[in-house]
Amino acid sequence: MKRNVVFTIAVLALCVIAMPAMAAGSETKLTVWYAVSGDSGEAFKAMLEKYDAANDDVSLQYSYSGNYGDTATKVSAALVSNTAPDVALMAAGPLYTGARNDFFIESKINDSDFNKNDIFPGVWEYAEYNGRICAVPYGISTPVLFYNKAIMEKAGINMKNPPKTWDEFFKVAEAAQTKGNITGASDFWGFDVTDVAWLYKSMLSQNGNTVIKVKNNNVSPAFDDEKSVEVATFWKKLVDAKLMPVGQHSNAEKKFLSGNLAFLVASSARIARWAKDPSLKVGAIPMPYFKKPSVALGGNVLIILAKDQKVKEEAWKLVKYLARAENQTGYALKTGYLPIRKSGIALPEAKETIEKNEMFGVAFDQLDYAWSYWHFEQMGTMDQILVQVIDSIERNTMSPKDALQKGAAELQAEIDG
Amino acid sequence: MKKTLKKKYPFTMLFLCFSSLLMIFPFIWMILSAFKTSSDVYAYPPKWIPSSFKWDNFAEVFKKIPFFRFYLNSILVSVTQTFLQILISAMGAFALTKLEFPGRKKIVTFMQSSLFVPEVVTIIPMFLIVSWAGLIDTYGGLILPELSCAFTTMLLMSFFETIPNDLIDAAKIDGCGYYRVFTHVMIPNARTALGTSSLFAFLTHWRSYMWPLLATNNVNLRTLPIGLKYLVQETSTEYQVLMAASVMAIVPVLIVYLLMEKEFVQSITLTGLKS
Amino acid sequence: MKAEGRNRKAKKYSMAKDQKRAGMVMVTPLVLTLLCLFLLPVVLVVIMSFTNWSMTTPTRNFVGLKNFKFVLNDPRFWKAFWNTLYYAGSKLVLETGLALFIAVLLDKKIHFRKFFRVAHFAPVVVPITASSLIWLWFYDPGIGPLNQVLTALGLPPSQWLYNQNTSMASIILFSIWRGLGYNIILFLAGLQSIPESYLEAARIDGANERQVFFKIKMPLLSPVTSFVVMMGIINAFKAFTEVDVMTPNHGPLESTLLIVSYIYDQSFTRGKMGRGAAASLILFLIIFLFTLIQKAFGRKRVSYD
Repeated sequence: MKRNVVFTIAVLALCVIAMPAMAAGSETKLTVWYAVSGDSGEAFKAMLEKYDAANDDVSLQYSYSGNYGDTATKVSAALVSNTAPDVALMAAGPLYTGARNDFFIESKINDSDFNKNDIFPGVWEYAEYNGRICAVPYGISTPVLFYNKAIMEKAGINMKNPPKTWDEFFKVAEAAQTKGNITGASDFWGFDVTDVAWLYKSMLSQNGNTVIKVKNNNVSPAFDDEKSVEVATFWKKLVDAKLMPVGQHSNAEKKFLSGNLAFLVASSARIARWAKDPSLKVGAIPMPYFKKPSVALGGNVLIILAKDQKVKEEAWKLVKYLARAENQTGYALKTGYLPIRKSGIALPEAKETIEKNEMFGVAFDQLDYAWSYWHFEQMGTMDQILVQVIDSIERNTMSPKDALQKGAAELQAEIDG
Repeated sequence: MKKTLKKKYPFTMLFLCFSSLLMIFPFIWMILSAFKTSSDVYAYPPKWIPSSFKWDNFAEVFKKIPFFRFYLNSILVSVTQTFLQILISAMGAFALTKLEFPGRKKIVTFMQSSLFVPEVVTIIPMFLIVSWAGLIDTYGGLILPELSCAFTTMLLMSFFETIPNDLIDAAKIDGCGYYRVFTHVMIPNARTALGTSSLFAFLTHWRSYMWPLLATNNVNLRTLPIGLKYLVQETSTEYQVLMAASVMAIVPVLIVYLLMEKEFVQSITLTGLKS
Repeated sequence: MKAEGRNRKAKKYSMAKDQKRAGMVMVTPLVLTLLCLFLLPVVLVVIMSFTNWSMTTPTRNFVGLKNFKFVLNDPRFWKAFWNTLYYAGSKLVLETGLALFIAVLLDKKIHFRKFFRVAHFAPVVVPITASSLIWLWFYDPGIGPLNQVLTALGLPPSQWLYNQNTSMASIILFSIWRGLGYNIILFLAGLQSIPESYLEAARIDGANERQVFFKIKMPLLSPVTSFVVMMGIINAFKAFTEVDVMTPNHGPLESTLLIVSYIYDQSFTRGKMGRGAAASLILFLIIFLFTLIQKAFGRKRVSYD
């Protein structure tokens, strides 16, 4: 009797020890890093867990790799020492694949079960390097114009017919500021934006400027022409009219949430969280425009960094799974990122969410005219230069034209190296 | 006698009350914020007192991250680092201040100059070295590269210098070897300095973020500061949850500090040993 | 007599040898960690500084002194240099002075001493994510309490972090608040290790408290003071975290761009690792020069005593 018990335990223990060892023989190991945290991180992790459980032939090892900046550092260090993950969800992904001449994803997207034409064309542009696809767009976002419902109510502004152009918007924001002060604060404003470069690039596109020029795969700045000066002059007008505070963009979200700002341009990725909070009375309207509607895309993409052919194939299977309409849309609805597939927006759960909160609908509709330029090595530098240019315009230390030209020259020098 | 010890210093009291209030202000704010709801956080005019004292935010932290695992890792890593660092530095500082041997001055200059390089530039080279050594995703790779002995050694040196050489000579005459002098004369006499430098070392390691993030991919090896980042979203942050996690994160630091505080209060009587 | 002298000489010799060996053995672990954790990475940094090492692409070509030339000709670097000098100078003077003053007060035998000490240490343990939030609110030009106090006193409100003339001063104030506790503890530890008998002897000789402080406490505290000043210089030149959390994008018109922010910016935001490495070697030289100056001053003061 005793001997039997000992024997059974021994066999069981052996099984437990041997099982992972046996399984490891046939399983492909995939490492995944992701640069999203909070609710987005949870939602992404849940999908990975599900995939891991459903596929016996792969075992996933996934971890959060810090925010966008930290993940970039981590991935570049790992690439030098050959310890890179097989799949990464990160910002500026094409710089780690296409710029290294790795266009594996491009060779795969024609898979019939991937259905690449279902993905918005503007969204694909966000995954290109030198005009070639080298990533799969994933946590995609656009800037969205949010407004405080209580302020509009007090100012007697009806948002059923939102302003279409920036000039119309200017008048509405002015009215909201003069008549809609709900907190009685002396520090009360009509308009502000959290991410200066993002909105500015969107405005450039609306005014017919392409931000960068590409000739024979050589990128050069294009944001110093007349069209750009027009946009910068409008920007200056917002400041001069005291509709927008000078250089307090990092403070803008706080002002908005505390009821001291009527309109705020911020990422669509805020929608899910704001929609969850019943105490926030926030709405959204389509982004106003100059000549034609347009918004610049932002967010993160999926890239494959695996070296081994077999692992690469497995990694692609995972990416394909994550990019399925029901999975990616489910992720979008939980986080406020946007569906990348046309069929995703048509899903019943998407429709239901739009009905519950119109902010989702506004953000999703913007996808029809969402736009992006190619990834290029100095795109981080460009954003930084644009922020400085606009800062000096707002603070009146330089005229819009001079500031833009100086900025473009600086970027050109960086590109020339 | 006791009365003369506790003299009344009206100016000192007034000044200290005022400055303490200023210094402790954010501390109180942090604790109060840990109980707030998200609408309390953004309320205008700013709300000091949360609308209700509930533990929801703390519970949220446990729901979102493996808090205990991160906590244990943080303690394990920081305590080991502090211990190793103090051990290496105390020996080094003793040798560099009280013993005569060739190359002594050069080592001091070399050590001092190691402090001139900001970590942001050495972190990538360090990562390459550690990955060549195969220590990525190990406790060794977490602990060893962050030993910052130079600072601790310099700090200990400045205190060891104040310990009179007579003490060492006396012990030598009594027949002690230099190792015995180190353990039986220097260590007991430098308790304040050792306490202070352990506290500093522990604090630095306790809040270290970038290296632990680079050196680990395995969630089971992650430390608390990375855990805090799990709660911060790229686009929006739930401040109240972050505050709750921060409050829990500083508890051990406070305990260490309160234990160490004794070390500062007991002033050491060097004179007694000297005579 | 002669034999005894020889004997003593031999003993002295063996003692010196003994000391030499003990010294070298005890310093070995320290030297080893310095070699592995400082020299090795720095050699790589030096190599990097001569290449066009990029964060994203795998290009690593030798480019000679190009990175050094770029940095030294970059107006942004010089802006960062002057900003850092301003930051380091003001912070060093204010923080060291204030810390010493408060440490002397906390050294007195007063009521609630323990509470006061814990209170002054509190900012050190508060994570910067938490403390930056409250200071951002302090500095809010609209609803911040600092401006409310100013208007209550009949003074004009300030833009604090959001104006190029006041942004750096606001950062300095915040960083002094954060770092004061460290220095107070160092000074306190120094003050506590001054033997009470020295002070009493001076008092019996009729010295007043001021004389006791300047003639006895200050000279005995000088190793700690020079340590605090030296670390103050080094850390002020290496400052980064505070400006990074308080003023994203380097503040209004880049008025809070410090040398390390510049290095971070070149290495990571712009991905030019080689340039960042070159800039950090230049920073190395700058700090080295300043510590030399500090040493010269320190020596001068000691020789006066």
